[in-house]
Amino acid sequence: MYYPGPIERLIENLTKLPGIGRKTATRLTFFLLNSKGFYISELSESLLDVKEKIKLCSVCFNITDVDPCVICTDPRRDRSIICVVEESSHMMVVESANPGHYKYHILHGVINPIEGIGPDDVRIKELHERIIREEIKEVIIATNPNIEGNTTAHYISEILKSLDVRITRIASGIPVGGDIVYIDPLTIKSSIDNRKNL
Amino acid sequence: MALHKDEAIVLFKRAYGESDKIIRLFTLKSGKIAAIAKGGSKSQKRFMNTLEPFNHINVEYFEKQEKGMVRLENADIVETNCGIETSLKKACTAGFFTELVDRLTKERERHDELFQILKEVLQQVKRTELTYMEILYYHLKILETLGFMPNFTDCVYCGNKMDEEDKVYFSSQRGGILCASCSSSLPHKTYQAGVIEKVLSFRKQGREIEDPKTYRFFEREVQDIMEGFMSYHLDVEFKSYRLLKNFVLK
Repeated sequence: MYYPGPIERLIENLTKLPGIGRKTATRLTFFLLNSKGFYISELSESLLDVKEKIKLCSVCFNITDVDPCVICTDPRRDRSIICVVEESSHMMVVESANPGHYKYHILHGVINPIEGIGPDDVRIKELHERIIREEIKEVIIATNPNIEGNTTAHYISEILKSLDVRITRIASGIPVGGDIVYIDPLTIKSSIDNRKNL
Repeated sequence: MALHKDEAIVLFKRAYGESDKIIRLFTLKSGKIAAIAKGGSKSQKRFMNTLEPFNHINVEYFEKQEKGMVRLENADIVETNCGIETSLKKACTAGFFTELVDRLTKERERHDELFQILKEVLQQVKRTELTYMEILYYHLKILETLGFMPNFTDCVYCGNKMDEEDKVYFSSQRGGILCASCSSSLPHKTYQAGVIEKVLSFRKQGREIEDPKTYRFFEREVQDIMEGFMSYHLDVEFKSYRLLKNFVLK
């Protein structure tokens, strides 16, 4: 189907977004075409702002528009505990469950030998320096409970062994509201291994 | 589309799109295959925990006639990778062997013996951190099984049986040792006498060289021979080997 050049260009650009096919891109293009002028300028400005103003926090490596980020400068948070996560999106999930509790450290990846990603390719060295500098007392490792996340957790605990810091790992087991009949053997084993006193 | 049942070792996984996973499996009946697991990242029922690298699993998959990527239907665990994650050395060693099998095998080439070797080496890595010589033992075993074994017994140029020499001349290009006279005209690297005997005796006995000083010396020499050989013949850098070398074998 023929569309004028600028419409075709917008459709092409929208199809590059994840989960957007040509049909959806066309629908979005016509929505934008029929939108009021201020919405279009607001949308284009916010797109430019994301690219220009967002950077990494120099302390925790979270995405932020101010450096240090609002979490690092929040005086109400426990300054002796750091929660280590793989990505900024993981931090958002942990934060939504425990708002205002901890400070974070974002690794921006995990150790993955098959992909050639080693300890130097994620921000483990910076974590080590930060724990010494900020006199951290506890590190909660909240990487995914898969082979890469577990290897990273073990490596971090290994290099922090010499420091006077408590290292904890998030538990893995039966989800809240789950049914034990449908849980796989590995998860059951993990939940039994990590059982706690009542 | 036919449904196949097989057992497999997971060589590689990558997230694909919002909820799918692309994985490469080394199967017992069909050799290496690439598979897509629809909903592999989210499905609690079908793929939970199973599609992790180094896992030994039972799989059910659909295959189209044109033999493209297969569609994984179900997977359950025979033996997990639990234990490999406890040290970087174990993870790098397991990564090296899966990458080795991944790169040296063609798709859909059945190889029962190689499957058993990979299964055995992953079980070993789960239990203990392997020394370099133990890694080399399995490395050579895999190369021999696939027909890539360097020639350590005869001169690769003239074919003469090697006698007691005071030096070892190894040609990565020719894939083996050279006699003294052939080494004068062909590119090679020179090593101390005895290094090949140590490798061969280790391969037969499958145990460590006892004296630590001798061990370290031969380890470096053998490492250099194998790196030269692998980089020349495969022309690719093993990502996991780079990590293994930088963080573990240094």
